[in-house]
Amino acid sequence: MRYRSQWVAYPYFVVALLLYGLQMVFGLLSAAKYLGPDPLINLMAFDVTKEIHTNLLIVWVLTGFMGATYYVVPEESRTEIYSVKLAYWQLGIWTVNGVVAVVGYLFGWTEGNKLLEQPVPVKLTIVVCMLMFLYNIFMTIRKSGRWTTTEGVLVSGLALAALLYLPALLQFHNYTVSIFYRWWTVHLWVEGVWEMVQAGLLAYLLIRLSGADREMMEKWLYVIVGLVFIAGIIGTAHHYYWVGVPQYWLPIGGFFSALEPLALFGMAMYAYFAMRRSGFAHPNKLAIHWTVGSAVYTAFGAGLLGLAHTWPAVNKWTHGTLITPMHGHSAFFGAYVMIVLAVITYAMPHFAGREDSSRESPMGYWAFWLQLSGMFGMTLAFATAGIAQVYMERIMGVGYLDTQLKLQVHFLMLIGAAIIFTAGVALFIWDFFRAVPIRTAFLDNTSGDASVPVSSVA
Amino acid sequence: MTKRHTRMFFVGGTLLFAAIFLGMTIDSHRQFATLTNADQITPAVSAGKDVWHKGNCINCHTLLGEGAYYAPDLTKITDQRGEPYLTAFLKDPSQFYSEKQHRRLMPNPKLSEEEIAQVIAFLGWVAKIDNQGWPPRPILVSGGTFPGTGEAEGSAAGVAASDSPVALGQELFRSTPPGCASCHSLVAGVNLAGPSLAGLASEAARIIASPEYQGNATTPEEFIRESIVEPSVYLVPGAMYSAAGRSFMPDNYREILEPVQVENLVAYLMTLR
Ligand code: HEC
Ligand code: HEC
Ligand code: HEM
Ligand code: HEM
Ligand SMILES: [Fe+2]
Repeated sequence: MRYRSQWVAYPYFVVALLLYGLQMVFGLLSAAKYLGPDPLINLMAFDVTKEIHTNLLIVWVLTGFMGATYYVVPEESRTEIYSVKLAYWQLGIWTVNGVVAVVGYLFGWTEGNKLLEQPVPVKLTIVVCMLMFLYNIFMTIRKSGRWTTTEGVLVSGLALAALLYLPALLQFHNYTVSIFYRWWTVHLWVEGVWEMVQAGLLAYLLIRLSGADREMMEKWLYVIVGLVFIAGIIGTAHHYYWVGVPQYWLPIGGFFSALEPLALFGMAMYAYFAMRRSGFAHPNKLAIHWTVGSAVYTAFGAGLLGLAHTWPAVNKWTHGTLITPMHGHSAFFGAYVMIVLAVITYAMPHFAGREDSSRESPMGYWAFWLQLSGMFGMTLAFATAGIAQVYMERIMGVGYLDTQLKLQVHFLMLIGAAIIFTAGVALFIWDFFRAVPIRTAFLDNTSGDASVPVSSVA
Repeated sequence: MTKRHTRMFFVGGTLLFAAIFLGMTIDSHRQFATLTNADQITPAVSAGKDVWHKGNCINCHTLLGEGAYYAPDLTKITDQRGEPYLTAFLKDPSQFYSEKQHRRLMPNPKLSEEEIAQVIAFLGWVAKIDNQGWPPRPILVSGGTFPGTGEAEGSAAGVAASDSPVALGQELFRSTPPGCASCHSLVAGVNLAGPSLAGLASEAARIIASPEYQGNATTPEEFIRESIVEPSVYLVPGAMYSAAGRSFMPDNYREILEPVQVENLVAYLMTLR
């Protein structure tokens, strides 16, 4: 850590990880309800636990992104954060807003629109927090007058994410039209601008961890995000097939969304080649695990398992079955959970004023492998349940409820794998809080490369 | 290839494909009105959409295949269930399903009569959206049989010529609409939203002979025909089948089916002895 104000990332990571833990509680509750019967049905039914589960996910991942950005930008722009105080205020408002939303959901205060359930005042507060964040970051970069491609991609991703949240504020009379624009937020986030964030953080970590040549890394960074958008923008159509749009979206959407994995496989190769140069020379090997793991698991969960059901002739049968959360879980985990945990693992020794190798605890590795294998098991459980569901319910015409009864064994497997996963999450959080941060963190010049080439802002 | 080239690739590619996407969006807006029958979005449909959101239905159900996977897809539910049934169900789902049997149950959504009518109007509008014919075959809430498990769908239609009234009736019975099979199983003792029709022909003879029967039918054929076009004349006992003298079976088959289709259904159902 070279700049005092980078420290502000720490409280962001604290909030993110606490919400991550809470997300698991609501995930397990939701899965238990699949198994049924549900003793809490009148207290909080499935709809409530599930919306809290997914909303916590989005909130903590965004909190992690913002913390990571506060950590990365000073190093890349070689300056202190414009206003540390503003960063703290922003975190405070953001957290209170999140808690209000969750408590509101428990009492039925919801817009009932998948993933965008936040009531209007909560949505507006989110926008305000994003603006505070972006202002702070832009002023930091402006103050220093220099920026790198890596941080440029990262910050543009977050700025565009804020912009694409705006369609979520619009109300439409026609349900089909409101679905159409819901995906401008949801799909263009996870398969567009959030990919910029992931790719930016990946480039930053790979440069730090492997010492790979920055010019080379940033050149390919543009290729990757270019591929993301070329395929991903029109790829939105894989959510449009069956909601009442003109027929031409089917072939066009099938084609472009089938190209989407290209960028994700590219990302895995990017990580592989960067690491092949230097091997595991960096002392923080655990951070290397999370970083490379993120790239590889994205290729699997988002790339391969997305491709598995994106073609219209397949999606016709799998649409809206348990195949969808199979892909949703593995994609989100690889792309966004793992990259945030990678930044946290990388940064943690610096907050604690320890050696980079201090992350090398057995507990840290258990946290990694338990989450990885737990998520793999959950993916398999959803997949096997989903295939059985498609066959029985969609192809043979057995009723929904009778089909679900036949899936009990898969739900047991889901819960088993989820318990393994949750153990990994608990260990990660425990390991994080075990390392006591030092407020006056030492400022070293060793972890950064002094030869950062920068472009200047005119 | 330098960084400047790859940056151009990124900026140029993004702008180009964003422009194509916007073009298709504009064109779609020109077609939404027709595809979605926008002229049929009455104030009731609109209010029903608000009820749908307020009730958080999307976080258990899918609609147009989007939502959560805890409860059945409702895209075509109004083709399968008439308004009387849906009204009664939404007033109190526990009258119709039990957690004991299916391990899950819809909690009472606590809607007013007006809200129930509105959300049904909304679902009726959704069912008519031109969505490329999805789902490719009807998704049923419950029922259905597993071949080879001994719960075979009893019928003589298997041996009938494919254009005989019996075969046509069987085909119609399984189609949606009219959605007979989504409410009636043919397995004895398996009651869905409507009673099992196993052994219907014999059952019909028994009913018309019994003193409770007040209708005009004198033969099993007439009874079955009457049951289809005027379901409330004779009510199968049970709170989950009717309320206040009104059957939960749709009462508009006289209008939506041709007379010959009704006759085919009767011919088919008469084979269930
Ligand atoms: C907590 C989850 C949950 C919520 C929220 C929910 N449902 Fe359901 N719904 C179910 C389940 C489960 C079933 C399957 C039947 C049963 O077990 O009750 C069902 C069945 C239905 C059916 C089909 C009944 C039939 O027999 O055809 C309709 C219609 C329906 N729900 C409408 C709604 C509407 C409208 C809302 C919102 C106001 C809603 N549901 C909210 C869980 C839910
Ligand atoms: C929404 C569910 C529903 C649908 C769809 C439905 N029914 Fe029914 N049906 C019922 C209910 C409920 C009853 C029992 C109440 C009554 O007697 O009307 C019933 C009763 C009957 C009976 C009388 C059974 C007896 O034992 O007396 C016949 C025959 C029948 N239905 C045939 C049909 C046919 C043919 C169709 C398709 C054209 C059909 N039903 C569609 C719900 C449905
Ligand atoms: C990091 C990247 C990705 C993430 C986080 C992600 C996440 C998700 C989530 C959460 C859903 C469910 C959305 C909903 O129904 O509201 C979904 C649906 C879907 N995703 Fe992805 N996804 C990613 C990449 C991809 C890619 C690359 C493809 C295609 C190759 C793809 C194909 C699909 C399809 C076809 C659906 C619709 C499923 C259905 O019809 O029910 N996804 N994705
Ligand atoms: C303890 C572990 C977990 C369990 C038991 C669990 C369980 C569930 C369940 C039951 C659902 C509801 C699916 C439905 O709508 O019917 C769900 C949804 C979802 N969960 Fe999890 N989850 C867990 C962890 C996670 C993690 C770590 C992530 C992020 C990587 C995640 C992301 C999601 C997403 C994106 C959805 C929405 C999926 C969709 O609609 O297709 N969950 N989860
Ligand atoms: Fe998508």
